[in-house]
Amino acid sequence: MSDLPPFTGSLPPTNEPLRIAVRRLRWFRAAFDAHVAAVGDRIGCTYTVDEAKLAGIFVRWLRSVERQKPSNAKDRHDYFEFAAGLMLRELTADMPLAVKSPPSKADPGSAAAFWPEGYACTIFCLTVHSAALQQEFKDKPQVSPAINDLRHWWSFKENAQMDASFSVGFLQLILGHQPNWVMPDVFRARLSEELSDS
Amino acid sequence: MPNPLPLPDAMPLRDALRGLRHAVRRGGETFLDAMPVGSLPRPAAELAEAVLREVGEIAKGVNGVASGLAKLALGSSDKPSGSLHDLTRRQNAEDGFAQCIYAALRAVLRKLNAPSAFISETAARSAYLALLPQQRLGSEASIAAALSLALVDAKVLRGATAEDAARVAGHSLEDIAVFAVMLWLQSNRSGAEDEPALDAATDLAVALASEAGTAFRTRDAPRLETLYAEFAPHV
Repeated sequence: MSDLPPFTGSLPPTNEPLRIAVRRLRWFRAAFDAHVAAVGDRIGCTYTVDEAKLAGIFVRWLRSVERQKPSNAKDRHDYFEFAAGLMLRELTADMPLAVKSPPSKADPGSAAAFWPEGYACTIFCLTVHSAALQQEFKDKPQVSPAINDLRHWWSFKENAQMDASFSVGFLQLILGHQPNWVMPDVFRARLSEELSDS
Repeated sequence: MPNPLPLPDAMPLRDALRGLRHAVRRGGETFLDAMPVGSLPRPAAELAEAVLREVGEIAKGVNGVASGLAKLALGSSDKPSGSLHDLTRRQNAEDGFAQCIYAALRAVLRKLNAPSAFISETAARSAYLALLPQQRLGSEASIAAALSLALVDAKVLRGATAEDAARVAGHSLEDIAVFAVMLWLQSNRSGAEDEPALDAATDLAVALASEAGTAFRTRDAPRLETLYAEFAPHV
């Protein structure tokens, strides 16, 4: 397990807790735009963002997060990770990013070069998740070596295009957890599996 | 800056001047679209071009006078501010509400690529005054829902064309623009966040166009209230 790529500084400042700010479209959008610009700068490509798509993604994400919100406070920590996975699901289901040119500074065998749009969205979700977790729980999540394994990214891209819920499982995998691949975007299914494992 | 003229009620005059400006701008566009100057033979084309230039100058002059008068002599409100809660509790709330709706709708229409639609400040004031006393006692979302329907009833937005409505194709530009402004008015924001919040409210309104549009079309105030309560905290 290792630290996340260093993009936390790309998030705009806010006087509110991050868990609140990220559920306001104006901050979410500013954070996404700034983050994508920082990733583009690092890997040498320019992204364009479809703001109308991003607003639709935000609405769907908000509703799915509200719908599955657990009532038990002890599930809160896990739910933060799950919510980040739902965000990645919505982003991959209706990709708001396009690249104007291929990344010039990324290793040709890297995830960033293979799928720059998916890479930027994944790192955004991980970055917001990491920052929120540190703020709420003083917990800095680590990422699994799978993040550097192109085979996982290849599988992620192909599967997510057929079924966006795969993205939720991919994010869990990157965070070092074993996903429930049958229903990766159902929080209760994930809880039941954890209970049966223990 | 000159002092506003001591008029008893500047709002209808402001609307009239803006209406004149709107008519001149729209008339000029239609006129230019309709003139087949390129296909005319040479002497006629030269004559037509001279006439067009003259008409253009007149239109520019009227436009400038109307804009200048509306902005300077009568006092105007280009900067929207305040929350719905604040607006409804001020003295002469109907005037403050109307000015705020005018300025916010202008900004929303610019973002929706429909800057030339006509906004009636007087209609916004009538909408506020049409609210029944019991409607003013509800939650912020329920007041917003009642005001939204009243604004549409009062025809706060006029002269929108199909081209204007392209960004919200299949829906009423007026419904979506009013929804955006009312959502923004209920949002929790600082003065410095007015503009990004209005942008966000507009994009939320477009994303929710189908649901909001249905609520307006069926005059479903409870549905509008639910949408406002659900999304105002997320602008």
